Amino acid sequence: MMFDAATLATFVVNGLTTGCIYGLAAIGLCVIFNASGIVNFAQGSFVMFGGMVAADLFGRAGLPLAAAVLLATGLAWCLGWVLMQGVIRPLLARRAPILILILATLALQIVLENAAMHALGTKPLNLPEVTPGLMFRLGGIAVSGQNLWIALGTLALVGLLWLFYTRTLMGKAMRACAVNREMASLLGISVERTIALSFAISAALGAAGGILITPTQYTQFNIALPYGIKAFVAAIIGGFGNVGGALVGGLILGVLESLAVAFVSSGYKDVIVFTLLLVILVLRPSGLFGSPVED
Amino acid sequence: MNAPLLAVTGLHKRFGGLHAVDDVGFTVDPGRLQALIGPNGAGKTTVFNLISGFLRPDAGRVTLAGQDITDRRPDRVARLGLVRTFQIVRPFAQMTVLENILVGFHARTRGGLAAALLRPPAVRRQDAAVRDEAEEILRTIRLTDRAAEPAANLTFGQQRFLEIGRALAARPRLLMADEPAAGLNPQETAFLGELLQAIRARGITILLVEHDMTLVMRVAEHIVVLDFGKKIAEGPPAVVRGDPAVLAAYLGTDEETAA
Repeated sequence: MMFDAATLATFVVNGLTTGCIYGLAAIGLCVIFNASGIVNFAQGSFVMFGGMVAADLFGRAGLPLAAAVLLATGLAWCLGWVLMQGVIRPLLARRAPILILILATLALQIVLENAAMHALGTKPLNLPEVTPGLMFRLGGIAVSGQNLWIALGTLALVGLLWLFYTRTLMGKAMRACAVNREMASLLGISVERTIALSFAISAALGAAGGILITPTQYTQFNIALPYGIKAFVAAIIGGFGNVGGALVGGLILGVLESLAVAFVSSGYKDVIVFTLLLVILVLRPSGLFGSPVED
Repeated sequence: MNAPLLAVTGLHKRFGGLHAVDDVGFTVDPGRLQALIGPNGAGKTTVFNLISGFLRPDAGRVTLAGQDITDRRPDRVARLGLVRTFQIVRPFAQMTVLENILVGFHARTRGGLAAALLRPPAVRRQDAAVRDEAEEILRTIRLTDRAAEPAANLTFGQQRFLEIGRALAARPRLLMADEPAAGLNPQETAFLGELLQAIRARGITILLVEHDMTLVMRVAEHIVVLDFGKKIAEGPPAVVRGDPAVLAAYLGTDEETAA
């Protein structure tokens, strides 16, 4: 099968768009991993939660779009915080091994998915585009305005996170925890507070991604697991724990997936993507960008 | 008399059959530069780890300014004013020298994420004050010109001074330094002596575990001597130096009697 350049470019742009969402979720994974050493299997739930809650607030409760988006992101922030205080923190206090903490996040993912199914229904939900109907031409192809909003939203969120990490004492404290939690706590940094903040940030990032992508492909209670796995893959491609790498990993994954659909078929998408993942891991076991947490 | 800043009473720690710390008790008065010495294996570092909450004692109590800190979480102990450095240097290697210092400030500054992003005037004033103080600390530890480099680029000695600077940023009431002279060359050791005295002159109490007797005898005002996990002597350098029990402990077992 052959494509002209414009069709190919369209697939790449769509891949980059989905890749932004994988990237945001993957960054969220890294933020939690760096603060706590926990691989959060509930990460995809945040993506689902954001889209579903925003769509429900907008479609059923009739809130204005901006209010629904902000409220859903804020609720996700609170959800992350509650998960930490209600589940992770008690486990940490009992000195649970890291494997138990990871298992707990897997359980949370299942609980959240089922809770969303019962509370918000099994039907796919949708949100309108930020600028409905806006299309613009980019190098000969037509791009939907929502793609631009996704790219801008992702850049803004990553920029905010970067400012937080580099310009604020709390951000530096979180980076110090990533290097050496024990040393950080001996300097008076509360590791629990740092982990709580990491869950809140991570949930908000995932939810924002879920909201941004919903107008282009709907959302449903069961999208959590696929997004969680894609976030995990993107984070590994980027070198687990490396925030910049996670974004690039997400973009690479999104484009690969889109091209696999274009050149082969959507049925083989996951086969191709995960085969490539295996190739990357065999060639570069620490990911494309190494890892800042290795000691 | 002032109440002691740090009081250690009846401290015990066993590792299997070894009674590493056996009923150790002493106090550190505020404003003092005090040293804890003893031959190799005397239990100094274990006592240190017990005080700073790094290890849990089998028995005994540690109080800081009257508050029991025996089973407190390390970050709480640090915020009460006890900050320590390690014999093995552990800077946050990928962060810059200045950032390492700034991490130390975190515990005693306020303001959450919203404040950091919106930056109200109070936060901006606090940030400016923190930056001034960080620069002053960098001058004190002579690392001003390396501020923007990753901490991993520093020499071993500079990393040791960076750790002391990072501890100072947390504005401790009691700074505990575990063998700060270990691995330093003579020039660096001389600077360390000046640095410790400068820190003490700021009103920060110091408790030091140290092997370098020349340094200890020069800077310490009060010395506690351990041997085989027990306290065998205590007093000002001149007294400890002549104490028969101390001489017996060191003679023949350690070449560092030379002091």
